Amino acid sequence: MKKLLTAKWFIVLSVSLLLIAGIVLSFLPGSPLKGVVGLSSNAVSPAQKGVKATGNAFSDFWAAIADGIAIREENKTLKEEIADLKYRLNQYEEAAIRYEELKNAFHIRDTFSNYDIYGASILSREADEWFSVIRINAGKNEGIVLEQGQSYPVVDTEMNLVGRVIETQGSNSMVLPLLHEGFSASGKVNEVNGASVIVSGDAVLKKSGLCRVKAFDKGIKLEPGTVIVTSGEGGLFPDGIPIGTIVSVDYSNPTEVTATLRPFSNIGELEDVFVMIPFNADDKKEGVPGASESSAPVAGGQG
Amino acid sequence: MDRRRLIRKIIVYAVYILLLSSLQVSYPSRLGFLGQTADLAFVFVVLTGYFNGFIDGAVVGLITGIVRDCLAPIAIIGFDGTVHVTAGIGMLVMFLAGALSSSFFTKRMHRNVPFAFVSIAFCTLVYKIGGHFLAYSWTIIIPSAGSYQLGFYEIVVRSCLLQTLLNLIAGIPLILLMRFAGPVSLSEQRKTSDDVIMTNEDTSWLQI
Repeated sequence: MKKLLTAKWFIVLSVSLLLIAGIVLSFLPGSPLKGVVGLSSNAVSPAQKGVKATGNAFSDFWAAIADGIAIREENKTLKEEIADLKYRLNQYEEAAIRYEELKNAFHIRDTFSNYDIYGASILSREADEWFSVIRINAGKNEGIVLEQGQSYPVVDTEMNLVGRVIETQGSNSMVLPLLHEGFSASGKVNEVNGASVIVSGDAVLKKSGLCRVKAFDKGIKLEPGTVIVTSGEGGLFPDGIPIGTIVSVDYSNPTEVTATLRPFSNIGELEDVFVMIPFNADDKKEGVPGASESSAPVAGGQG
Repeated sequence: MDRRRLIRKIIVYAVYILLLSSLQVSYPSRLGFLGQTADLAFVFVVLTGYFNGFIDGAVVGLITGIVRDCLAPIAIIGFDGTVHVTAGIGMLVMFLAGALSSSFFTKRMHRNVPFAFVSIAFCTLVYKIGGHFLAYSWTIIIPSAGSYQLGFYEIVVRSCLLQTLLNLIAGIPLILLMRFAGPVSLSEQRKTSDDVIMTNEDTSWLQI
């Protein structure tokens, strides 16, 4: 018996079976393995943040040395630009006041005015080519509470679609990026009564930073350069978030026109993202422990 | 093993696991080429199994896997057709990598550095081929997971061979680290040499 217990094949088999059982159980809410991983995350996250901060500092320091002369030249140009921009800023502030007056007068509705927008930084990205998600530094503690079946859109600083939040933990959340094989969103051609399409991640295209687009209508004409935005169908993403542009179109199957799309958002280079939480979902988190004042949105429309 | 060596081992392993796993998920674009990323943590686990045996490989693999599951969890489409963040896949992959690479930990290999590259290449290929097979099988079992239509060129050249090449390149500095600043000191490695690899019926164990 002792010989069996110390046999390498027996140890490998037993641990593997245990882990496989754990993986299957992790599909269920409250899985013990997820609890272990979640606890470990509290210990690992600060270390990873430290490594990232050190890496960034080193990278910045190196860039400062390497680009010293260029930076001096750039600095001179930037000072001139700042003076010019200050002048323009004054003008725009005037214009903004005028806009607010007009908005109130004509009840102009912002495109995303019924969403609160929470800022977050990307902590970690995909580790390899398979199915990894992105982790951001905003979670339940910051007020992003996700209930069963819910999901929140994530956009970049230009309001382009990045993905959606699929799980939240104490101080971080998991974002399913739009290049992920499991991602899917309803889109449309960005024009009045634009044709409906489905944008989804694809294992092959992902490596080139592209997504797959499937068209519903037989007679649809997609061309390279066509801009695709979210259609608002399905209720998850609000109407009008820019997704990307069509790169190539395949008409070989007339019943199902497919295309490739390059997202506007360069996910590999992103540092900051914004989580869009609809007001009604936001209301639900009232009374949830951890939904503190620090969760105040960085920007938000007027309902 | 005396207490001092054990503490050194634990500290060095902990530092490397945290450092390499963090670098892996913080700067993947700088470690990548043509859509593939050199897997530092995976290579480290393989080298641990190769240089220090089954127990080290398996334990370091499990812990690295937990860190991987924390920092870059895998999300797949479940039986209900929705995407779920899983836990444990990283642990399983890294544990098996550590266990598999320790099969190269024999008297014949003599902790030979060139064979460390063979070990990295072998484990990477097994991981990639197994991964593609499982990903394909998953789409068969779960129809809502869509199709996994990767061609021969995509799987063999752009996935398996490219990842193997990147891991081999990543292996160069990691082998040097394992040899000269690893969990087992160089003098200890020389002193103990093959005598520490005690071969029994079905396995080889490191006896430091």
